Amino acid sequence: MKTGKFLIAGTVVTLVLAGFVSLFASASPDGLESVLLTGCDTDDGEITGGACVLQAAGDHEIGGAFADYGISFLDGAFQGSEVLGASLAGVLGVLLTLAVATGLFRLLARGKRADSAEEGA
Amino acid sequence: MSDLALHIPTDVIDGPTSLAAVLVAALVVGLCVVRARRHLDERLVPLAGLATAFIFAAQMLNFPIAAGVSGHLLGGALAAALLGPWLGALCVTVVIVIQALLFADGAVTALGLNVANMALIATFTAYAVLTLALKVLPRTRGGLAAAVFAAAVVSVVAASAGFVLQFWIGGEEVGQSFGAMAAAILGTHVLVGLGEAAITAGAVTAVALARPDLVHALRGTRLAQAPRDLKETA
Repeated sequence: MKTGKFLIAGTVVTLVLAGFVSLFASASPDGLESVLLTGCDTDDGEITGGACVLQAAGDHEIGGAFADYGISFLDGAFQGSEVLGASLAGVLGVLLTLAVATGLFRLLARGKRADSAEEGA
Repeated sequence: MSDLALHIPTDVIDGPTSLAAVLVAALVVGLCVVRARRHLDERLVPLAGLATAFIFAAQMLNFPIAAGVSGHLLGGALAAALLGPWLGALCVTVVIVIQALLFADGAVTALGLNVANMALIATFTAYAVLTLALKVLPRTRGGLAAAVFAAAVVSVVAASAGFVLQFWIGGEEVGQSFGAMAAAILGTHVLVGLGEAAITAGAVTAVALARPDLVHALRGTRLAQAPRDLKETA
């Protein structure tokens, strides 16, 4: 398979995972969270009583544009807006990650080329 | 819906421990930058970018591991198998920083802790197991899949052991004893690791069949049943 084709296929698979398959992901607490919730009673992800490590956990410091993998200004704007927000947050997250990582690694590779050119001079 | 992933949230580990983790993680990530650069060919850049985006997407996909408990890919084993330990650790680091700054996933103050566990411990452990396993196993599709599988399981348990250590130093036990918590964390992450292993083995095998030259762990060799033509198709 040619590199270009491989990259396009990989990007499409990644976008489908983040924008669509992610909507069907399990909403249960993950391994770390479930152990840290031991001792607490919970209802729909909220701690309602008891004593556990996660009670001490504060809210996220800055929230962020796509907090909790949604897009806050879309929430409740229209029917299905949360699903669209979750899907869009995934797609935008992938595109952003792709851009940031590719950019950083390109800088790193360029830096190396400049270094070896200097050594050769 | 749950707003936390396998990432450490705010105020679970105390300030001094979190700060120490930032310093250690920054040092090791710096070393990764230096070492990754030596082997970073411009041809590899788009692949490394794609692998990073794939890990970001895969971390969103929580799969059930027991009643009411889920797990998700950490990605260290995938990154190590495709890109080697140094560049691989940088990929996972980029994902964790983006999650903390934009997705409220993992505390900003816990960045050092989360990078240490998921990007550094997981990736380096995976690479060590993978290298050892590939010394014993045949270079076939099955051999590669088995090596990657083993590397992924061990890497996830090692990452969770990183958390247990951090909690031992800077956490406060509530609701259960430290020993019970440690056992539960490690046990649960064996299950998470099995899920990670299945996904990673599938993904690495798929890449190895399409483009064996893009699998760092194969070091330029092809899988045994592929035609023995080492000409690059790039």
